[in-house]
Amino acid sequence: MVHALEEVHRLVKPNGILIDIHPVAEASPIEIHRGEKIERVGDLSVRQWCSDYQHADEALTVIKQRGLFMVERESIFNSLTYYDSVAEMRTDWKEAIDKFARDAQSIAESVPHAEAMAARAQAMMQTAANGAELIVGERVHISRLKPRFP
Amino acid sequence: MTIRTDPENNETRALFDMANFSGQRVLEIGCGDGRVTWLYADKAAHVTAIDPSAKLIALARQELPSQLLDRVEFHNATFEDFAIASKPSAFDIVILSWSLC
Repeated sequence: MVHALEEVHRLVKPNGILIDIHPVAEASPIEIHRGEKIERVGDLSVRQWCSDYQHADEALTVIKQRGLFMVERESIFNSLTYYDSVAEMRTDWKEAIDKFARDAQSIAESVPHAEAMAARAQAMMQTAANGAELIVGERVHISRLKPRFP
Repeated sequence: MTIRTDPENNETRALFDMANFSGQRVLEIGCGDGRVTWLYADKAAHVTAIDPSAKLIALARQELPSQLLDRVEFHNATFEDFAIASKPSAFDIVILSWSLC
């Protein structure tokens, strides 16, 4: 990751900017919404994903310490993903898992946890009325960094 | 099947709070299916968007509006390969789009 940021530093113009967007390293709440009624399914806590987000934070810290970039502005926003069904949510998670597999990273330890959450959501959706939506929330960190040329 | 991500547009607001894309040359790393690209592409002078997934790049190209054909290019490439072939100081804005992981 640090090497990638060094390459970004080379590609960006001296008066340009880097914008980094990545989720906060924490569990994602899963809820079922039906009108005003909200039921909590649980938290999706995929250790490997959280670990990678922590590594992203650490890489940014390293390049700031090296003086390659400085943070000009940063904030956190909420990103909610809405699913009509558990099948949709499973498909979406599978794509994320496949991405990690493509990057040759093992997340096998996290798959049973995700599947257990999906099964729980499935059971709760079956008892929910029609029109219920599954919502997975993430807090996302966004920052604007200026390149520096020490 | 309709998966909706951030219909509240929180990401759009956060992104435009960070940068003015008007007339800028943008590199987006980890563009996936172009979900973030579409938020700003019509403002930029030129967008180069890359992702190592051929499937997602194909989806992004399918969704590319005709009015952006001359401004947005999607490449199926890893950032490492792309960077080796790229000249220095080529972009005004670089976006790490949920990809520094």
